[in-house]
Amino acid sequence: MQRPDWAPDTIDIERPSVARMYDYYLGGSHNFAADRAAAQAMVAAVPEAPLMAQANRAFLRRAVHHLADAGIRQFLDIGSGIPTVGNVHEIAQQLDPQSRVVYVDVDPVAVAHSREILAGNEQAAVVQEDLRHPEAILAHPDVRKLLDLSQPVAVMVVAVLHFVSDDDRPAELLRTLRDALAPGSYLVLSQASDDGRSEDERAEAERVYRRTDSPLWVRSRAELTALFDGFELLDPGVVWVPQWRPDTPESAGDAERAVFMGGVGRLGG
Amino acid sequence: MAESPRATPYPGTFARAWAKAVSGTSYLPMTQAQLESLLDRLTGELAGALLTEPFDLRAGHRVGAELVAAHIASAEGLGRTVEVIQLRLVRDLGLVAEDVEDRMARLLAAVATGYARALRDRTLDEQESIRRAAMRARTQAERALRASEARFRHQATHDPLTGLPNRTLFTERLTAALNEPGRGAQRVGVCFLDLDRFKVVNDTLGHQIGDLLLATVAERLRKAMGEHLVARLGGDEFVILVERTNGTDDMVAVAETALAAVRTPALVDGHELQISASIGIVERQVAGANPTDLMRAADSTLHWAKSAGGARWALYDAERNQRELARYALSAAIPAALERGEFYLDYQPLTSLRDGSLVGVEALVRWRHPELGVLRPDSFIGLAEETGLIVQLGGWVLAEACREAEAWSAGGASAPFVSVNLAVRQVHRPGLVQEVRALLRQTGLPPERLQLEITESTMMSTAEEPVRALRVLADLGVRIAIDDFGTGYSNLAYLRDLPVTELKVAGEFVAGLRSPSVGRTDERILASLVSLAHALDLTVTAEGVETAGQAERLRAIGCDAAQGWHFGRPAPADRILARIR
Repeated sequence: MQRPDWAPDTIDIERPSVARMYDYYLGGSHNFAADRAAAQAMVAAVPEAPLMAQANRAFLRRAVHHLADAGIRQFLDIGSGIPTVGNVHEIAQQLDPQSRVVYVDVDPVAVAHSREILAGNEQAAVVQEDLRHPEAILAHPDVRKLLDLSQPVAVMVVAVLHFVSDDDRPAELLRTLRDALAPGSYLVLSQASDDGRSEDERAEAERVYRRTDSPLWVRSRAELTALFDGFELLDPGVVWVPQWRPDTPESAGDAERAVFMGGVGRLGG
Repeated sequence: MAESPRATPYPGTFARAWAKAVSGTSYLPMTQAQLESLLDRLTGELAGALLTEPFDLRAGHRVGAELVAAHIASAEGLGRTVEVIQLRLVRDLGLVAEDVEDRMARLLAAVATGYARALRDRTLDEQESIRRAAMRARTQAERALRASEARFRHQATHDPLTGLPNRTLFTERLTAALNEPGRGAQRVGVCFLDLDRFKVVNDTLGHQIGDLLLATVAERLRKAMGEHLVARLGGDEFVILVERTNGTDDMVAVAETALAAVRTPALVDGHELQISASIGIVERQVAGANPTDLMRAADSTLHWAKSAGGARWALYDAERNQRELARYALSAAIPAALERGEFYLDYQPLTSLRDGSLVGVEALVRWRHPELGVLRPDSFIGLAEETGLIVQLGGWVLAEACREAEAWSAGGASAPFVSVNLAVRQVHRPGLVQEVRALLRQTGLPPERLQLEITESTMMSTAEEPVRALRVLADLGVRIAIDDFGTGYSNLAYLRDLPVTELKVAGEFVAGLRSPSVGRTDERILASLVSLAHALDLTVTAEGVETAGQAERLRAIGCDAAQGWHFGRPAPADRILARIR
């Protein structure tokens, strides 16, 4: 992010986008040739990649369900990507049409697509921002307009933190978000983990993502658990995402193949 | 959708097996229970289709489309669906029909067809939608780029303090005004404005107040000038561009308006500031004009307004500018000319009116200019005085005169003294005494053969130092003469304080002596000056004596010596000295 702040992004669809690669893993067609080529290279390196994406999406769905049941009506989804099936606002507004959702993504195409999907939905908005600028997210007029930060909010940082390097100090970013939240708020966090992975697989996956604007930065369970600092982790803690409150016991089988670990924390007080 | 016949309790064994088969083929935004319930309903549709007469393919199409709509939308999803229906549907549901195998094949074909159609449509829709999003994002990025470029351009072309256009934008607009095709016959003008004594505001009230004042002035000018471009060039310099003028009157009106806008007292941070401005106006035809010349002319003209006292405008005058440029070029050339030895001295005799002997000579500097020929002092001394080069030049004249005069004594004891003009700056320099002492020592010229001519104005300052220096020189024996006496300050007090040896009476009194009738007053003044001088023990030399009649009358008055064409024009030393040998 070294360019001067007055120079906006250019749109280059010849360059793979992690948001559209993710859509491809989920079986969507909201992607271009470059995205598919990169995603196929990823599948060649890590055959579970589509499964990972699906498992993570299912985790998001179960987490939103749980939080809605717990009374949460405000959602801030950072790194929302291409808003295909099973979006936060679809789930939350199905349970309560008054639920308010703000999506945040750094990818301008993903944002433009989200804007189209959300057209006419007064209770949802999309903001183009970077997880690495939490102050800018919190201060954004659309965030301020739709979300009342004096009331509990669920902050979703799902399948995006592995694009934030340690140099960008993820713990500080999350702390900034946490400090803006009212007691009773939640943090939903998941990201790719290298627990139990071979060095080869990890290196190959990182190589694929170096072609994108968002290199991969995997983390261990211990590192992820530490990122919930200040939150009370809900049961079962930080786990492979299929193990987080599965619909059926059998859907949690073979969980480590999902590569993603995640958890949900509650801000006490 | 029509009610489907339910063959087994919900969810049936078959639906559960089907759900298991398609799980993980793509992301399904629902719980396992929701999936099973959906597939249970579709199972009913399929079973109905197998049994109903006549056989209806549309049920199969519908099931295929519904699967895709429910996001069971992948190649694997279809493959496993076909497999599980073929293997288990008839058996699990215990369906009995005559041509069940035949119907099953056709039903599966219909499901696959409906599924493929729906998936194709969905794929095309999604592709279209993501392309549209990319296009919109690109448009937006381009718009943002343009906006940021506009913002950047604004920053690059405006002054942050006042918000006015800056020099860059002004130059662009001026250049455009001059280059616009078809405008050759039109006229354009600029007012170059500068605040008078703005530095005083900054120095006494601080830069913050100074900046606020600049912002106030800028705002007033912007309002007062209407459509004309007002730019800030830097510091307290502003410029107004007037396009399509009809002559200087238009520009004068603009300048008057600008001066009036600045003149109104400004209340800045509790200080009421009365400020004025000076303006240089240049107005000319577009044809043949270029921005650099125009701005240079405006700059010179502004300085004319300033040197005339400020709080006014001045209009560009090409002849005056030409003269100034020539003078400037000449003054700039003095140091090099000194090095190349282009200066030399002529001498004009000072003749005794008693016996006609040569008592002294006045050294007069000449410049043998390589292009302009021999220049007389009036064409470059004034300029040298303004620029300070007079110190260097005067020093050379003094040294050269001492050097040459020393050689004259070889001819006899009665060698004339040499009289050298000293400029104000030379007299006020601290090192004057040492300089003269060193020259006398180096050349061996006796002090009494050196006369220093100073003007009355030299003594107008109240500084002690020059008086003391002159006194030291007089004590050494150097003669001190007051040049052009009677035309300037004529304060007699310094005649009391100064060690003056001689008065040189200005030529204009002498000029009156040419005609007996009108010269009465001048003659009386001269007679009084001579008696005054003699009473103070001073000698008197009359300047500008051109006729024998004048000389005779001066002699009658009792004047000691005379100088002028009647007694000899300035000439090289050897020609003058030839007269006494």
